[in-house]
Amino acid sequence: MSEKKQQVSRRQFLNYTLTGVGGFMAASMLAPMVRFAIDPVLKASAGGDMQAVADVSEITTEPQRFEWTVEQVDAWYTSDVTHSAWVYKNENDEIVPLSPVCKHLGCQVNWAGNEDYPDQFYCPCHDGRYLKDGTNVPNTPPDAPLDLFEYEVKDGTLYLGQPVPREEV
Amino acid sequence: MKWDTIDLKTYFKSKEYVDTVCIPLVPLNLSNETDAIKFANYQQTIQIIAKEVERNFTGRVLLSPVYTYFSEGSYEAEQERINQWTELMFGEDFKHKFFLTFDLKWKKEEKGLDGTLLWLPASMIEDYQSEVTKKWIMDQKSQVSELIRSFWQ
Repeated sequence: MSEKKQQVSRRQFLNYTLTGVGGFMAASMLAPMVRFAIDPVLKASAGGDMQAVADVSEITTEPQRFEWTVEQVDAWYTSDVTHSAWVYKNENDEIVPLSPVCKHLGCQVNWAGNEDYPDQFYCPCHDGRYLKDGTNVPNTPPDAPLDLFEYEVKDGTLYLGQPVPREEV
Repeated sequence: MKWDTIDLKTYFKSKEYVDTVCIPLVPLNLSNETDAIKFANYQQTIQIIAKEVERNFTGRVLLSPVYTYFSEGSYEAEQERINQWTELMFGEDFKHKFFLTFDLKWKKEEKGLDGTLLWLPASMIEDYQSEVTKKWIMDQKSQVSELIRSFWQ
């Protein structure tokens, strides 16, 4: 019995305790650092919020305007922000979700908004025009095509993400 | 363009494209509860509509901060002050000035105003989230937008 009691000497006991406590302290300092280091991996992609916008069956070859509301939270208050998109199906049966925000100064463009150009998007502010695929018409104020939304179709519903700018054509 | 740092920077860069200003007129009163609440509701609603119109015409319309006044003061005197204020603020740069309001007393003073009065019949909104309200606001927005557009042509 007495021999067994001697198995852990005072020195060993102190060593174990100090290593244990020291290790614990080191771990509690390092763990958050590791967390910081790999943080971008853990973060849900900020723009990845897809919003249900329309039923795929509603989408035709003629651009239609769809609106949806997103709750936007900033540091001070929460507000509802309305977004819109012009959506249609092209010849290849692909969905084309265009941002309605004019690339000139940000007004909302309308499909067939001008009687003289029934198959173009028209900006009422400064007569900017875009073809059906969103390409800006040269010699009108806009200098880039309309943004295209990220999109996905799930169970017959169209979800839209962030508008993505395109290069000038 | 809204009255914030980002949009005002854009405004000073693209001044020549912005020829329209929209000024919401909102009456204030704290002497009786009914009016105070009613006017607070007006203010909230008119700002929602104004912001929606601004969103529609961001590149050409500047949305002014709300112009407020005491609801039981003299509208004649107020009208002069508004004219002076808009002249000093927006002067020659803005060809089109629109006053947006739910206050029906302006309808009578309309002629004296140095700009176009857009008086909208008010409705007390209890629930801003309801579908009926949203639809009503969208309707107001598209009618006001159409009217403003007609002045551009």
